[in-house]
This record gives sequence, C-alpha cells and structure tokens, in this order.
Amino acid sequence: MIEYLVFAAAFGLLLLGLHRKVIARIQMRPGPPVWQEILHALKFSFKSTWVPKTASATLYIGVVLVGIGIWSAALFVVLAGESILILFAIYMLHKVVEHGFGLSSGSPYGKFGGVRSVISAASEIPLFVTISAIYLFTGSLLLRDIIAYQGVHGPLLLIVPPVAIAMYIVILSKMPYGPFSIVESKELVSGYKTEHFGVWRAGISVIDGLKTFVLLYAFVAIFIGAVPFWAALVIMTGILVTLSFVCAVTPMLSPFDSVTIQGLITGLMLAYVGYLWWVMP
Amino acid sequence: MPDIGGIDLFVLEFGDILHYYTPYTTTLFLLALIFTALAIVSRPEGQIDIAFGGDAYYAKETTLPEMRFRRFMAIACGLATMGAMGSGDLFNFTLFASLVGITNVGIVAAVKNRHVLNAAYEYGIVAMVATLPLFGGAALILATTGTLSIPALAAGGFAVPFVGKALLVLGVIGEGMAPFYAAKAEMFRAPGAPYVIMCSLSSLLIFLRVVEIAITI
Repeated sequence: MIEYLVFAAAFGLLLLGLHRKVIARIQMRPGPPVWQEILHALKFSFKSTWVPKTASATLYIGVVLVGIGIWSAALFVVLAGESILILFAIYMLHKVVEHGFGLSSGSPYGKFGGVRSVISAASEIPLFVTISAIYLFTGSLLLRDIIAYQGVHGPLLLIVPPVAIAMYIVILSKMPYGPFSIVESKELVSGYKTEHFGVWRAGISVIDGLKTFVLLYAFVAIFIGAVPFWAALVIMTGILVTLSFVCAVTPMLSPFDSVTIQGLITGLMLAYVGYLWWVMP
Repeated sequence: MPDIGGIDLFVLEFGDILHYYTPYTTTLFLLALIFTALAIVSRPEGQIDIAFGGDAYYAKETTLPEMRFRRFMAIACGLATMGAMGSGDLFNFTLFASLVGITNVGIVAAVKNRHVLNAAYEYGIVAMVATLPLFGGAALILATTGTLSIPALAAGGFAVPFVGKALLVLGVIGEGMAPFYAAKAEMFRAPGAPYVIMCSLSSLLIFLRVVEIAITI
C-alpha cells in the first residue's frame, strides 16, 4: 500500500511542477523545472523544524498529520472503488484542515488565510450538485458501480457534460495560482501555509501532491470510466494542462468576486439538476 | 436501503432507536473524534494581531477560566457532532444538529471582543431561525410516513415528501453552511484555534450527514 501513496504523492507533485511550468511558459517566462515541487518537498524535509512560540503546538502539528491521513484515505477510496460521497466529504474537510493550519500558528497572515478558506466554502456546494446528478443516472454512488454504468452507457462526460464542467471548476478552485486561490494569495504571504516550515511544510507538499492526484484520478474515473492506468495518467496530465491554461490567463479574483462567481455556478448547477430531476423518468 | 455510504459496518440498538455506521458515517465520526481529542489536549495559540495605523502588533491572551469554558463547549460540540453522525433516527439527528448550533455560539461566547460577540449573536439568530425548517422537515416526514427511522424510510415503501427533505437540508444549511455562514466566518477571528475549529468542522459534518440522509430516504 505504501508504494501507492509514494507514487501518488510524487506524481501529484510532478503535476504541480508541470502546472507551474505551463503557466510560466504562457506568461513568457522560463519557469522552474517540472520536478521543482518534488525538490521543494525533499528540501523542506531536511531543513530545521520548529514550532512558533505563539502556536497551539498540538494542533499546529496534528493538523498536518490529519491532512496527510484524510488524503491517504481518499486515495484508497478511489483505488478501491468505494463511495464517492466519502471522497467528497474528505474534499470538504480539507477546508477544516486549511482552517487549522491558518489559525493554529497565531500569525495574522495564517489567520486571514484560514478565514478566507471558510468564506470560500461556497465552492464545495457544486460538488454535491454533481453527486446528485450522478446518482440520478447511475442509481449508486459507489465508484465501481459508476464505472460499470459507463461501461454499458458510455462516459458520463458525454451524457452530462455540465456536471463534468462543475467538477472541473471545483478542481480549478483547488489549484494554486488560479482565479479562486484566495486562501494563499500573495498579500497574505503564503496564506494559511505561512508559518509552517521544515518538515511540517514538507507534509503540506505531500498533502498537495496527494490531493492533486486524487482529484484528477477521480475525475477520470467518474466521467470517463475504466481506462488502463497509464492512459488515466496521460488523461490526468492533459486535464492539468488545461487547468494551467485557465490559471495562466485568469487574474486572481478578490474574495468577494470569488465567492460570488462560485455562488452563481452553484445556482446554475442547482437549476440544471432540478431540470434533470424533472425530466428523468 | 440504497448503497450510498457503503455497507453497514456496525449497528447499535437502543430499543427501537438505532445508530448505524457505514464507511461514510464512520469516516465522519472518526474525524469528529480526532478534532475533539485535539480540542481536549491542545492549548490555545497566542494570536498576534496588527494595530492598524502603525507598525505595532499585540498578542491576544486566552485566560484560564475562558479556556476551560470554551474547551467544555468544544467538547460538547464534538459529542453532538458524533451523535449526529451515527444517528438512525431523524428526530435525534435534528436534536443533535440544533445542539451543534447552540454549542457553536457557546465556543465564542466567552471571548471578550465586541466584533466576535456581534458575529456570534448574528449567527445565533440565523441558527435559531434555521431550527424551524429543521424540525418542520422532520415533523412533515413523520406526519406523512408515520416513522422517523432512517433505515425504515430508506427501505422503501414510504413516499417521503420532497418538501420534507428540502426543509431538513435547509435547516442544516442554516446551522452554518453557505450562503448562511457570513456571520460564522467572522466568529473565526476569535483566538483559541482548537475550539474555534470545532465550529467549522461540526457544520461541515452535519451537512455531509444530511446529504446522505436526504439521498437515502
């Protein structure tokens, strides 16, 4: 099992490195090498580690372990074909982890990153609208049943494209340097991550790597269905490059605009699922 | 029963009322347990704040009596959340959900800061109003089906009214989810991260549970 975790974290970090590279090339910069995020994780692992004097030490450390734990669990949920409701619960609970990171240090930058994380919770609602739409078609939320449904009826990407777009936007809202990345914007230094250094920061890198891998892999499994593992990795890379394009050409929104746009997307998705519920036999 | 959160792992019976745990509700229960344990063993942080209009900053201290009261409320919030995660009875679920609302106000009520107390007051009003659709939804379901047992409703044979489910979800959303969470976000400016985080966690968890209930029944 540990080899899955190591591979997922490393591949996720590689994808995040590619994300930075693509954004840089679009913006006419050379950009860092694609393995830069892996180097960051390794570098932080061996740097001096400390806990700020003002921090709530147990929470400051505990929340890193909780973050790694929930995304490790999410990886096994996806690989085992279990309920996507668990996967999306973990996605939502990542907000609490961000909140914990931000508040536990006592830093005002971390605190505002944590508060922004709470106010951007509107981005999670389209996720449940997505789940409802999938359930209307497949009659199950177990990933293996959803994959089996697509084996018979074809990819859900073609059956319910607006739902796939909603999940794409949900993944976009978690991408760094994107239009909705208000929790770690530069006016807050690094937002909720500001005060975590050394091995704790390496832990955050592992969380980011696992999160990126799990969300993209889940997108492929939910909307495209059963494909060979190597093909899934290629498709994930392709999706990530499109996300990078969006991030590169879109300015970061203000917190108010970010929440407003996410709220509008939620409203549209609710209307779409209401329509599906009305017309479905 | 529709396979939403996985197969039943454990069922705890109290007469005709039961608690059941699927992989989904077990995951939620364990997270509530972990963060409650963190609230018990963690000491509050020394929150640093900036004095606007200059380059000065100051540290907010949490006194011992305040810490004890807020820790007690955080533990109560954690217990209510854990109860809501495994409950197989709609009425018990609504009770636990409203207890979460009360304890969330309690967690920040001891903070001597006008801004935080105003936010807690506004949140308290929204949470109190939200109990109307919350209990109204459960009452409507009871009136139309004659039972409040989630496994019984999920087994089929009952025409659970859509309005009942919608009211139930609306009530839980009112306890602190988007778009009714504006005042709650302001409450998070209060120092005492291990306790404040329970406000955020409990709302998310009861929302995640009510989604499962609404789809299941």
